[in-house]
Amino acid sequence: MSEWSAAIRERARALVARYPDRRSAVMPLLYLAMLTEDGDLTEDGMRQVAEHTGLTPAQVQSVASFYTMYKREGVGRYLVSVCTSISCMLLAAHDVLDAVADETGVPHGETGEDGTFSVEHVECIGACGGAPAVQVNYELIEGVTPDKARELCRWLRDGRPEVVFSDEMQALFGGQRSFEWGPKEPEGAVAAVPAIAHLGSAAGSSSPPSGGSPAAQPPGGGST
Amino acid sequence: MTATSTKILTGRMDAHPADSHTIERYLATGGYEALRKALETMAPEDVAAELKASNMRGRGGANFPTGVKWGFLAATEPRYLVVNADESEPGTFKDRMLLERDPHQMIEGIALSCYALGIRQAFVYVRGEYPRPARRVERAIAEAYRHGFLGNDVLGTGFACDVVVHLGAGAYICGEETALLNSLEGRRGEPRIKPPFPAVEGLYARPTIVNNVETLSNVPWIVTNGGAQYATIGPETSAGTRLFSLSGHVAKPGNYELVMGLTWREFIYDIGGGIPNGRELKAWIPGGASAPWFVPDPHLDTPVTIDDVGKHGSMLGSGAVVVMDDTTCVVRAAMNIVQFFAHESCGQCTPCREGTGWLQRMLWRIENGAGRPVDVDLLLDVSDNISPGLKWPPAMTTICPLGPSAVSPITTITTYFRDEVAAHVEEGVCPLG
Amino acid sequence: MAERVTITVDGKEMSVPAGSLLIEAAQDEGVYIPRFCWHKRMKPVGMCRMCLVEVEGPRGMLLTTACTMRVNDGMQVDTQSDVVKKAQEGVLEFLLINHPLDCPVCDRGGECPLQDQTMAYGPGESRFVEEKRHFEKPIDISELVKLDRERCILCARCTRFSDEISGDPLIEFVDRGYGTQVLTFPDEPFASYFSGNTVQICPVGALTATPYRFRARPWDLEAVESTCQQCSVGCRVSLQSSQNTIVRLNAVDNDATNHGWLCDKGRFSFEYLSSPHRVGTPLVKGADGEFAEATWGDAIGLVADRLRDADDTRVAALGGARGTNEDAYAFGKFMRTVVGSPHLDAQLGDGLDPQLVVGVTPRATIPDLETARAILLWGPDLKEELPVLYLRVRRAAQELGAKLVVVHPRRTGLDDVAAHKITYRPGQGPAVLRRLAAGEGELAEARAALADGPVVALVGRPGLAEDPRLAEAVAAFAAGLPDAGIMPLERRGNVVGALDMGLSPSLLPGRVAIDDAAGRAALAEAWGADLPEGDGLGAAGILAAAEAGDLDVLLLLGADPADDYPQGNVADAALARTPFVVAFDLFLTDSSRQADVVLPVSGFGESEGTVTNVEGRVQKVNRLVPAPGAARPAWSVLEDVAARLGASLGAVSAEALSKEIAEVAPAYGGISWDLLDFGDGREGVVVPGPEATQPLQHAPADPAVQPSARDLVLHLARVLYDDGVHVRFGPSLARVVPVAAAYVHPNDATRLGLTAGTLVTVAGDRGEIDLPLGLDESLAPGTVYVPFNLDETSELGNALAVTLEAAG
Repeated sequence: MSEWSAAIRERARALVARYPDRRSAVMPLLYLAMLTEDGDLTEDGMRQVAEHTGLTPAQVQSVASFYTMYKREGVGRYLVSVCTSISCMLLAAHDVLDAVADETGVPHGETGEDGTFSVEHVECIGACGGAPAVQVNYELIEGVTPDKARELCRWLRDGRPEVVFSDEMQALFGGQRSFEWGPKEPEGAVAAVPAIAHLGSAAGSSSPPSGGSPAAQPPGGGST
Repeated sequence: MTATSTKILTGRMDAHPADSHTIERYLATGGYEALRKALETMAPEDVAAELKASNMRGRGGANFPTGVKWGFLAATEPRYLVVNADESEPGTFKDRMLLERDPHQMIEGIALSCYALGIRQAFVYVRGEYPRPARRVERAIAEAYRHGFLGNDVLGTGFACDVVVHLGAGAYICGEETALLNSLEGRRGEPRIKPPFPAVEGLYARPTIVNNVETLSNVPWIVTNGGAQYATIGPETSAGTRLFSLSGHVAKPGNYELVMGLTWREFIYDIGGGIPNGRELKAWIPGGASAPWFVPDPHLDTPVTIDDVGKHGSMLGSGAVVVMDDTTCVVRAAMNIVQFFAHESCGQCTPCREGTGWLQRMLWRIENGAGRPVDVDLLLDVSDNISPGLKWPPAMTTICPLGPSAVSPITTITTYFRDEVAAHVEEGVCPLG
Repeated sequence: MAERVTITVDGKEMSVPAGSLLIEAAQDEGVYIPRFCWHKRMKPVGMCRMCLVEVEGPRGMLLTTACTMRVNDGMQVDTQSDVVKKAQEGVLEFLLINHPLDCPVCDRGGECPLQDQTMAYGPGESRFVEEKRHFEKPIDISELVKLDRERCILCARCTRFSDEISGDPLIEFVDRGYGTQVLTFPDEPFASYFSGNTVQICPVGALTATPYRFRARPWDLEAVESTCQQCSVGCRVSLQSSQNTIVRLNAVDNDATNHGWLCDKGRFSFEYLSSPHRVGTPLVKGADGEFAEATWGDAIGLVADRLRDADDTRVAALGGARGTNEDAYAFGKFMRTVVGSPHLDAQLGDGLDPQLVVGVTPRATIPDLETARAILLWGPDLKEELPVLYLRVRRAAQELGAKLVVVHPRRTGLDDVAAHKITYRPGQGPAVLRRLAAGEGELAEARAALADGPVVALVGRPGLAEDPRLAEAVAAFAAGLPDAGIMPLERRGNVVGALDMGLSPSLLPGRVAIDDAAGRAALAEAWGADLPEGDGLGAAGILAAAEAGDLDVLLLLGADPADDYPQGNVADAALARTPFVVAFDLFLTDSSRQADVVLPVSGFGESEGTVTNVEGRVQKVNRLVPAPGAARPAWSVLEDVAARLGASLGAVSAEALSKEIAEVAPAYGGISWDLLDFGDGREGVVVPGPEATQPLQHAPADPAVQPSARDLVLHLARVLYDDGVHVRFGPSLARVVPVAAAYVHPNDATRLGLTAGTLVTVAGDRGEIDLPLGLDESLAPGTVYVPFNLDETSELGNALAVTLEAAG
């Protein structure tokens, strides 16, 4: 079993310390396990989470498999998620999904052979006022047309950005928004794991998270 | 402006779009004054009394009076406050805005609620697909700690309050409060049997209050202005303003903070700008994907209040209004929603696990030209085995209302659009193309 | 009796225990509400929804699950309304839409709750025309259990059992919604000592047991209830046979012992009974050292001749702990009256002081765990030696809130539910006890936990290298705890019964001390014979005498000292040196192989009688199948040998012997087979029975054992699956026997410059053995843990001080 590095184990301990019961840290630790493996939730990753929470690997797998964002089948460099729930569906989200699948050559629900893209359709991501909506590594773009979706995929493939930022992609490929977003966000995603300081995001904020641990740097060498 | 334009929740973000989420702007616009007032001049039970007096009903979807819910909290220590920021009901995007645009308003609401309830540990459960709102909240929490609004000794009064952000990972069912608690405990997000209710046995089997983001965001205003003042806004049983998320085939989608009591026609046409592209209104969902749909006849001129919507067999739910124009195939729309619930069924109880999957497959056949004449009645009978009597609020053979929610679009389309459904079966194609 | 309330079910008023679950209360009053997920020994979850009923609430009748609803006074319940019937029919239809309906080839067919309830409550036809859910057909989730996910109805009985009852959550729900399945983690099989329970409680044929698969159809099975003899817990079982071969053991629920559970050793070891290696004919060793088959007459004649020629006191006997009380009683009577020797012992140097075992006061029973506020466990790892007692203690600590204090040299299965775990180096037990008793230092909290009674103290030998008298010292401490009860822990199936029957140099039948003059006199009169005078030898003395050439004849009654005596080399030498060894056995073991005559005896399920468990509870064992070949009950063989010697034991039948025991053995007074019949609420009789007295009252006294400090000490302890014959001769369990190793703390390995996997020599002054090195962080530094009786580890012996170095 490949073990986590001392630095990752230290971060894991800090996550565990946020809760009255260490089992509660399963979910953030699963994200941490994915960050150490470029977004994949591996069997070794689940074993490490089990180790840190006092659970059996079977229990960790049971929890992980309940939630759609823990990618046990692996995931590409860019996870493109197209919302197809009711509000997006009414505004032709399936055309956006088809455009993404066509442009990337990756059918939805799968990961491309070169590992660049995973394409999925997802249930409501809370962007109904800016339908149809798309996320790249959970960074949101609203008001996406099929053509803009193709441009987005090309931009990702050609530019291979280390970090994806919602505001940047919205400006380039988005349209109608659910509401005024306000100023730009300094943090972005380094992998198909939601970017938040206590788990690991790029261009991390200078504010310490409430748990008292210092602002996290992305693991595995990823940085802006 | 009319009375419908009262701004309790969205005033700051509308006036200061560039920095409404920062503590500087929050403080400059009266932020944390309610907390200071409460800590310095009010006993905890006084704060709770204001909530009770406000008649505010929870904004998560169940519309249960918040002050009453608080009253159920058992006295044993420790106790927890859990903020339900797992906004996932299709059509709903209001909490996302509150989290992103005015996180301190909610954080002050958390601190006030913890003070009122004698709680020192709160968790904010943010859905995993909301990293941006979660970041804003996490940074705002850090700011609040630095300014002494959270921590071991809030404003030097000895009151202690800690807040931890917990990220979900893609499971609608975690919006159900007991499923959320299981998830927060590091378990599968499966709803628990109630009773016991969380107020008695919640997080880690301790007394726990679970409140929605919008609910808590109202608390600073209520403490500042008094519960009685809040109760005067809007109809008696639908007090206060309400954030509605408007989406679908409507000219001006978005979040609208409204005083309840206007009619659906006023909302969809006057506020929402009507149906674009010259199309006609066919149906709308009045309160999120779980709610049975409304149709122009007879619902367009009924009032938008919790009670009126309930009286007409649906619910205001999470305040999500999804508008469908006359190009919409109701079978396809219903299938989309049933598929959503089938996908999100936790799978622990039989009728929901098996029933939603069965309904989804039948609708797929009907939509794709393989429907049989018996299928319409079969749809309804299978639905009845999930939600006996096919009424709203539903009777349930299930543990939680997710299963019956999947039945809502089926009862709607077989009630109001039976001919269109039948045409799918008889012609083997969708009549709308 | 608990408070009762009145509820009305289907118009019928019934008085039921307040706070009980509706499903159970109604059933006790004759109203059966169908169910799949609910199990009376597990927490209700209300998942399958089969038990939906209508209960009157503030807003009229409300559909609710009877398994989650607690009764309250005046509750109105309808289990038969149209709404209820439709809901139940609907649930069954939902359960069946994806079920493969492969009943004709399913092990569960004929005894399947899903099948039965479909008959009773089902819709009759399926309206589901979509494609059914598919999974890979049965997959091995362990060596013993297969899983067919297509048949699974996701009731979570198996996953809940593994998590909440047995404490090894290795199977879990995976995925969600329509795709939910039960699964193990990749490469981590469902290797639980209790996995067979999940097969038994599976309400469909999703989980099947490899040893039973396709062996029989339920309607062809013959069955009889009995008492498991794989350890001394004495679990109640249903023995099931097909064509005169035992093919399955199921647990039978009772409150006293097993709560409906079994360990896998108890459940699956029956295979040894039909092993081709069973001895079915008497064997006599010829001059060439080879066994030859013999007639009973010749074999018994030879044994009788050698006994007649031997000096009475140069005859000794070992064993009796694996048979029935009747066998043991006949054996003791034979030794003391026919042979005239006082040298007999049912224990093999691996037990406790027999007077402590049968006479300790105050004594605890297993049900006392249900009301204990604190539990002291200072003894073996129960999970390895008394598995179902482990379940009971686990329940007490986890569900019932008892504070559990575990004292053991290594991690145990109960550590995760223990309020306090004290790990110590073998040899330091006396010092730890003194500090615990005084509440010193870090033991203060553990001591405080034991100040709240009732306290149940489970006292045994943590390992075989430690001074066995430590248990007496622990018992003496425990006796002073508030409202204390003590349970001495002995492992072998009927060891307590054998000691109760007097198979010990210090005991006479019925819990009479050997030096109890009145007891001796009464027994001598009843037997019509003088009892042998002089001190008898126990197992250690007998084997030492044999090794020194001081024995003429050694009788082994189901005893295998070569493997079971903690100094295997001594036992081997003793067997080799003894001129004539007679083995009553089922197999040629490492001991009986060295005998001169082997007399085949009937085994479990092949003869009837009574047995006595670790609490002193007397229960029946029953006969279901014939013994192979000419094998017959040991008592009847002994009667024939006695007859050849011109004597009689009066052993005409097991029941006749049992009647004699009830008359002759004081603590067994009044225990008749009628009292022991199985049935609801019948749970045997705890000795002394209601009409009996127990002459021996043993108040434990601290023997002042001194601590022993050595550089490197041995922890020698048993594992559940070892090289015992019941495991070795059962193909299914033989597959799961672990590989032996010598374990040390990682720091010790570093200190010694050794790495895991290195072959090392562990040596003491009673033997040595080469084993691969394993690492075990739960050990105190300076300890070497070696599993006993695994890959010849018996040869190491049980010297406390050992050395460890890389094998040369």
